[in-house]
Amino acid sequence: MSMQPSPITRRRFIGSTTATGAGLALAAPGILKAATQAEGDLIHVAIVGYGKQGEVLFNCLKNIPGLYFQAVCDISDYNLQRGVGAAYSIQRNRSVPNQRPNRYTDIDEMLATEKGLDAAIIATPDFWHSPHTVKCLDAGLAVYCEKMMSNTIEGARDMVRAAERNDKLCQIGHQRRSNPRYLFTYEQLIKKHNLCGQIVNANAQWNRSLSASQPIGGEDISPKIIVPQDKLQKYGFENMDQFLNWRFYRDLSGGPISDLGAHQIDIFNWFLGTQPKAVYATGGHSYFKEREHFDNVMACFDYDTPQGEVRAFYQVLTTTSAGGGFWESFMGTEANIRTAEIAATSAIYRETPSDEKELEAMEKKWDDLVRRGYLRMKPAAPRPQAASAGAVEVYESAAPEEYDLPGGLPYIRDNKGQLVPKPAHQPHLENFFAALRGEAKLNCDARHAFESEAPIFYVNPSALQKERIEFTKEQLSV
Amino acid sequence: MNTETESKPDTLALTFAAWLCRLWLAVRALQTGIEKFAGTEKASADVMIDGAPNSYGMEVETVDKFYALSNYHGVPPSMAETFSKEPLIPGFFLPIYDKVLGPALLVLGLTILLGVASRTSLFLLGVLYVSLTWGLILIGGQQGNSGVAWLAAHMILIVWALYLAPYNKLCLLKKW
Repeated sequence: MSMQPSPITRRRFIGSTTATGAGLALAAPGILKAATQAEGDLIHVAIVGYGKQGEVLFNCLKNIPGLYFQAVCDISDYNLQRGVGAAYSIQRNRSVPNQRPNRYTDIDEMLATEKGLDAAIIATPDFWHSPHTVKCLDAGLAVYCEKMMSNTIEGARDMVRAAERNDKLCQIGHQRRSNPRYLFTYEQLIKKHNLCGQIVNANAQWNRSLSASQPIGGEDISPKIIVPQDKLQKYGFENMDQFLNWRFYRDLSGGPISDLGAHQIDIFNWFLGTQPKAVYATGGHSYFKEREHFDNVMACFDYDTPQGEVRAFYQVLTTTSAGGGFWESFMGTEANIRTAEIAATSAIYRETPSDEKELEAMEKKWDDLVRRGYLRMKPAAPRPQAASAGAVEVYESAAPEEYDLPGGLPYIRDNKGQLVPKPAHQPHLENFFAALRGEAKLNCDARHAFESEAPIFYVNPSALQKERIEFTKEQLSV
Repeated sequence: MNTETESKPDTLALTFAAWLCRLWLAVRALQTGIEKFAGTEKASADVMIDGAPNSYGMEVETVDKFYALSNYHGVPPSMAETFSKEPLIPGFFLPIYDKVLGPALLVLGLTILLGVASRTSLFLLGVLYVSLTWGLILIGGQQGNSGVAWLAAHMILIVWALYLAPYNKLCLLKKW
């Protein structure tokens, strides 16, 4: 019996989304490329929130065949105009019901008015993620929602419950989960070939420069982007500053540890295959003293994995880009794998055992992996000559050999015909729509995303209380 | 008898020498001219693992070389920019030189290879190399100086080929 899924029409999958997951491939990046949907079999999409992140997602969505952008919803007229314009620009030569998507300020009105919607892409501020997702799921739509799931853990729980109550797909935007480099690293290098040996420590950071951490807007705010005060207040914003810089406010977001850290702490939990058992964090308003959230946070997570104890350190700094920006590092007894969304930042370092037989066996294994295409060896960097090396050599480890992954994201042609890597979010969106068509399983459904995000909700409390938090099962489950 | 035989030049060796010089200079000019029409195109390829395309969709960027009339560049763009700032090079001269350089190398390479007006062709190739030498002197620095030395080696070969012209056999047009 063939294990390949049978072709499924758009209307067939709507009622059978749960069943489609079992037994299917985790990722199917090529599936959508090959599919040429008839216009009658389009997936009808609503875009909810067309700010910066909404635009990032749309720039991926426009590359995915078979989508029809039926509606755009945003409380900002400026954003609405941009979103509708962007969708119209790619639909104007297609035979779709409305080349120009319908525009809405209010999601309830959109859901009550629009018929035939299949999916919603939610890129609103964090505190709206949960209400918007739940509304869409309850209306029978599948949802792709940006991370962090919510600004509160209860909001995140509601999303899982709504997805399961309605038996609808809900993918959370931890896009690294669909990145071929991350999937390959986890499944092939860590799991299958045990490249790291025993992972004892993990380390990750997102260090963002001061210039990239500045508020949006200010006194020179353009009149065309201003949202009327009554509308702002209706949708939970006190003023334009809150609307533009919601990431700075405690009631609207989880701050840098959630906004930036969620991506990478998710990788800790994914690669280590478990949730942490405790967190101890510290943070402060060291530079941006007027902001509600800490501008720098450092957190230590303790894990019990099948291999043994793992301590994972994470830092998010908004005042420096030092240390290579953002990456995750998994440090094992045999190798250290540093993953990063930017391919050039990633690297793999092999340890050098002192025992000659061990070294020989390790070299043989790694040479074999290079020969078979699993790894690419980087040319050795010249070793610096220390002036007084003698005193140091006693304590110094041999420099590790440096390797890299054999490739990266697939390439596409941009609108100028230039070959560029596929945008980082696109494989995750492709996975979502492939799952909608019954051709793949979600790579980060709401329940798995919750399990991964739950510990993050306790980082700020730990830093505020200056206390180590030992997790209970209830804290980390729905 | 013996004395007469020994004083005769070894014409076969000189002919071989002429042919080698001719061949080297012709190949050098022809291929340099052809390369003026070379360009690159980026493409992507599947990462191969265990001899088969990987199942994750990982790709690598490849750069493929191809030739087309539209790729033509007489003077490399980086050098053209430098030359455009040189007060001794008239503004009108550079675009003309840019257009002429590639075809001139191709024509002279071909005529030298086929033996068409070999002496004149060699002389004109020498003049062309003098013009390139002048440009490299203007650029100066290590790049310019090493380029001048490199072209000087070409000039020695051209002069040597001219010296051997009487022994240059198998020519389509011996005149000039």
